[in-house]
Amino acid sequence: MSGEDAVPAEMHRPRRPLGPTPAVLDQDAADRLLTGQLDPADAPPGYAGVARLLAAATAPASPDELAGAAAAAAEFTAAMHSPHALHSPHSPHSPLVPRSAPMPRKLLSLKATAVAVVAVLSIGGVAAATGLVSVQLVAGHAPTASRGASAAHAERGTAVAVDSRSAGEAALGGLCRAYLAGQGGQNGKREDSPAFRALAAAAGGADKIAAFCQSTASATTATGAKGQQGTGPDATGAALGGLCRAYLAGQGGQNGRREDSPAFRALAAAAGGADKIAAYCRDTAPGGSATHQQGQGAPSSTGSGQGQGQGQGQGSPPSTTPAQDQGQGGPPTTTG
Amino acid sequence: MIGASFPSVLAHAQRGDEQAFAILWRDLQPALLRYFRVATPAVTEDLAAETWLGVIQGLERFKGDERGFRSWVFTLARHRAVDWQRWKARRPAMLVPVELLDDQAAPDDPAAAALEALSTRAALTLIAELPHDQAEVVALRLIAGLDVAQVARIVGKRPGTVRVIAHRGLRRLAQLAGPVVLAHGSVTR
Repeated sequence: MSGEDAVPAEMHRPRRPLGPTPAVLDQDAADRLLTGQLDPADAPPGYAGVARLLAAATAPASPDELAGAAAAAAEFTAAMHSPHALHSPHSPHSPLVPRSAPMPRKLLSLKATAVAVVAVLSIGGVAAATGLVSVQLVAGHAPTASRGASAAHAERGTAVAVDSRSAGEAALGGLCRAYLAGQGGQNGKREDSPAFRALAAAAGGADKIAAFCQSTASATTATGAKGQQGTGPDATGAALGGLCRAYLAGQGGQNGRREDSPAFRALAAAAGGADKIAAYCRDTAPGGSATHQQGQGAPSSTGSGQGQGQGQGQGSPPSTTPAQDQGQGGPPTTTG
Repeated sequence: MIGASFPSVLAHAQRGDEQAFAILWRDLQPALLRYFRVATPAVTEDLAAETWLGVIQGLERFKGDERGFRSWVFTLARHRAVDWQRWKARRPAMLVPVELLDDQAAPDDPAAAALEALSTRAALTLIAELPHDQAEVVALRLIAGLDVAQVARIVGKRPGTVRVIAHRGLRRLAQLAGPVVLAHGSVTR
């Protein structure tokens, strides 16, 4: 049995002077150390430091260890709604299946990317659509926005007022790209999100989105040429609704600090002030799902402000994007 | 540990309930990160995410109690760790020297920092300094909370061997921590 723990000499690097070899532990003390049940004060001679060390290693979770919870939950839901992912022929614990680390990591990041893009668009994109209600939208560089750039651009953008109509179309363009990109995968089912309800409203129905997006995609490249797609009021209402839902949903959690994002500045402008958003949203939310409208009062400032999405907008149909949109999906900590 | 509500949480998660999954995730993610911090210090978040992907894929088919669930999750985690180590071994040219990574990830003296501030991260870094098999067994016993039999199954060794390795790991840790304890006098709180 001793042969199995032979360690190649180079694997261990004596990097510090070692203390005296402590007494041999009895099995009970070892077990209690390893299960965190041995108080340092009761530790055998020479093992008090180890007991403290092991206690530190099993300290309660820190917030940053739990920072990815929202992304993980989204990943879970996306995968659960994708029969492909669930019934993958690769049994995750079969020793016979060759497992290659780099491949699944890439796969995962692609999936996370799609989720992140959708998440960003459901906030920022909808915010941009708000431009249609004559809100002076504060967004990124005008040329980028008018090309339908990803909302992330607008999020980190400087304060440049953009023509509201093209901003609205920018949002629709972004939503369309997200929709088309998501069709093949698990995000095709995301029509229940506010963003896609907005898109469906603009298209005239969920089943018309694809056709709408294809026609919009070719047209949006010509800036300002659109407006007759029936985008206007419906999209606006839905957009505001989505924005409001995003706002209300975010109040309790880490999105509480989102008031500094362009999306919420737009909302604040529509509401007539940041402090009026909550009331405004309660009055406005058009047919919003009641489940999301519980959180009221002042925006919470307890949010950690840690966004985890790091999306890269990918999978865009070639006809819609002159260049790959690179979206930074971690929204709350945008600083101009 | 989730405890008495685990069967219900698991059942809901298996039916696709996101909240239930979030409970599982919050319960195990810190331990996963810490395990990888010991076993594969450079890529903890990535490997934890890959582990969860495997959990999601296999969740429907999982049967067992909470102890079994933890054991299964860490079986997947160890697969990821072993894969990563193999992958790393095939690409030595791309690697930053281990010492450099260590020094970037750790305070100047992990032992001193761990004992002074009881920083979890420093403690993990010190455990990661153990020979690999010792570090792994200590991590699976201590951080994953698995018993000797479970760890033996996961690492493919006999229970007696696992005990011996854990023993050596603890003694080695005592040696690593020893000079610091002496230098800083008492370690009582």
